[in-house]
Amino acid sequence: MKRRDFLRLATALPFMGLLPSWASAKGGTGQRILVLVKLAGGNDGLNTLIPHADPLYYQLRPTVAIPQHQVLDIGQGMGLNPYLQALKPLWDAGQMAWVQGVGYPQGDLSHFRSNDIWETASNASEYLNDGWLARAVSPQAGLHGIIMGDQMGPLAGKDCHALAMQSPQVFLSQVSLVEDIQPVRVNPALAHLTNIQHQLYGAGQQIGSKLQRPAPLGVNFATSEIGRDLESVAKMIVSGVDALAYLVTLDGFDTHVNQNVTQSNLLHHLAGGLDSFAQAMKRAGRWDDVLVVTYSEFGRRAQENHGKGTDHGTASVQLVLGGKVRGGIYGDAPRLNALDSDGNPHHTVDFRQVYGTVAQRWLGQSNPWAKFGTLPFV
Amino acid sequence: MEILTFGEATHLVARTGLGAEWESIRRLEGKARPEAIEQVLNPPASPVKAAPAMTPWYTLEPMRLTDAQNRKRAWMVAQGEGKRLQGWWVEQILATRDPFTERMTLFWHNHFTSSIQKTLQPSLLHKQNLLLRQHALGNFAELLHAIAKDPAMLVYLDGYQNTKSSPNENFARELLELFTLGRGHYSEADVKAAAKAFTGWGVDNRNGQFTFRADQHDGGRVSFLGKSGNFDGDDIIKILLEHPRIAEQISEKFWRNFVNNGTPDAAVIKTWAQAFRSSGYDIKALMRAVLNSDAFWAANNRGALIKLPVEILLGTVRMIPYPRQPTVELVNLCRLLGQELFDPPNVRGWRGGEYWISTQTLLVRTSYLTKLSRGDLNQKVETGLRLPQAPPEQLVEWMLPVRPIQPLPDIPGDRRLVRALLLDPAFQVV
Repeated sequence: MKRRDFLRLATALPFMGLLPSWASAKGGTGQRILVLVKLAGGNDGLNTLIPHADPLYYQLRPTVAIPQHQVLDIGQGMGLNPYLQALKPLWDAGQMAWVQGVGYPQGDLSHFRSNDIWETASNASEYLNDGWLARAVSPQAGLHGIIMGDQMGPLAGKDCHALAMQSPQVFLSQVSLVEDIQPVRVNPALAHLTNIQHQLYGAGQQIGSKLQRPAPLGVNFATSEIGRDLESVAKMIVSGVDALAYLVTLDGFDTHVNQNVTQSNLLHHLAGGLDSFAQAMKRAGRWDDVLVVTYSEFGRRAQENHGKGTDHGTASVQLVLGGKVRGGIYGDAPRLNALDSDGNPHHTVDFRQVYGTVAQRWLGQSNPWAKFGTLPFV
Repeated sequence: MEILTFGEATHLVARTGLGAEWESIRRLEGKARPEAIEQVLNPPASPVKAAPAMTPWYTLEPMRLTDAQNRKRAWMVAQGEGKRLQGWWVEQILATRDPFTERMTLFWHNHFTSSIQKTLQPSLLHKQNLLLRQHALGNFAELLHAIAKDPAMLVYLDGYQNTKSSPNENFARELLELFTLGRGHYSEADVKAAAKAFTGWGVDNRNGQFTFRADQHDGGRVSFLGKSGNFDGDDIIKILLEHPRIAEQISEKFWRNFVNNGTPDAAVIKTWAQAFRSSGYDIKALMRAVLNSDAFWAANNRGALIKLPVEILLGTVRMIPYPRQPTVELVNLCRLLGQELFDPPNVRGWRGGEYWISTQTLLVRTSYLTKLSRGDLNQKVETGLRLPQAPPEQLVEWMLPVRPIQPLPDIPGDRRLVRALLLDPAFQVV
């Protein structure tokens, strides 16, 4: 038995006793939900999931590397950044998966371009308008997704029914200005407009009525921005808003200078927020219905720069959490002894394999990226 | 001789300007159609606002090339100045007496795209804007030659890194795919040949001007679109301009910007392209063909274009003298509505049309228009808002290109009526 399998069993048992009795009855019956967490700026994968057994890692990063004794070992020579401590119990419970070496051919080093590539699932040389989730989910009556923020990202699309909001409160006050309207067919432009307005009104009604008496979460979220956003998402899920996907963003990962101060702080906020979120979902009996997936426009250069930071890179890691997740590390570790001409590791998993897995194995939708295969993390 | 009605004059002003300005409509109403069109095509000169202070290329570029700390600083500078530059254009659009030129400058910005985010050089983007403005109603062939040497374009599409020893095909590819012929009218070999011909075109690090570096130019013989020779970039553009496809490609774009968001009518495009080509790529000649076409005036094409974010944000206050939002807020609203000036989403530009409207952008559009028109609607209260003195039916015709979708208020009063029209879905189209 592998060490983490043992830990998974050991910690899963006491958790069951803690669940309120109604939770298990309700658990697993809800709609499956995807929660995307965007780590904007280019999160350094090598200091998130750390190859601490690889001496090359320490050679390439004399000041930026996380000392081995601080790394939270999870086996296979890999370990977590110590500031992800709050999430360690989820690993031990077998509800945390990592996909490593995720990227795409001819990785683009521009934040904006690479972000577009990630969010539209395009090739490096191709420009697509619709977000990857907007393309993967089939039309449905309810909401496709809710974005905490203002950019539609993976949910952008003419026919994708998604909302962006600063917070449910601000959204509800804005949407109260929107009148209901029956779609008209005067011309295609007005047909589209009135159809969207009708949807918007419906979404406002739904969220307004569901959040009128929100179910208590029973968990105190941190007051950081990511904490508040995850709390809003948790409230909407628990109150029965029917969105298929949520997107929250944590910005600031562009760590060219003094990386460790910045990244530690961000990972600490991330772990705290996600830990509270997982607890809230468990209390509500929805943890089995939720899949949390992080993404970032790129990872960072293997070798540190002269400012105790790292420059834009390519392949990075994605963190996956959820009650139905098959814990473990997926994909091959990128080889630090075979870097490309820019000094970046070659990717070992195409990001569309992760998207395909989420679309097909989690959301039960068609898989536009089937040719990349899927991963068994869920 | 056809005489323009109020409704037709409104249509002409709303489609060529930014906002259906009452005075402009009144000037065209009652004129013969060709005369009104000539008036639109020959707008009054209007000054361009002085540029905001921006760090020049030769200061910013070396900063980016030193160390991480300086690179970060250069980035911060570019972000701050980029916002100011966006504010500059917003204010220019609000202040100008020549909205047609602004619209056409925006059109070319969306054709020959460049972005402050990729280039991180706001001063070069400003310079490019002046170039687009200069040629906005001028000659397309001259514009094409000039844009290929434009420093912002050279940086945006990596042309300045295109050298004999390491060719970069980015500009050559987009030149063929997006700026001129379109997919299916050239081969990969043509892209490679064009890239080779453009090697050595760069930006002078000392002054940020175009420079030709002969030592980095590959003067070898290439074969491009069936012609071969020792070509340079200008030769490539000359050969391109002989290709009939360019005039069609630009005409199709005019259709989607001035007629409707759907598929262009092939027969109409042929006649427009013919007029454009035979004029030697005179942009006014093409525009004249568009504005004189039946398609432009057809009843079923009225209200068939979704208004651009800048039409909603800036055109509305050009049209109705509501108190305007501060410039920073307008810049932010452009972003929220998906049209960040000087920062199109990618080299293809804004997709536009129905893509302007999502639940998110419709919410922001509605909030903005509600906020603009809030206040006391009781006619007896003096608000200082000067609306045109006209009967209600004419106010409806002024503000909406089609019949209102929602019922109009029962209570009389211009301010109340105008507000209801502003919030009607039909106000979102033109």
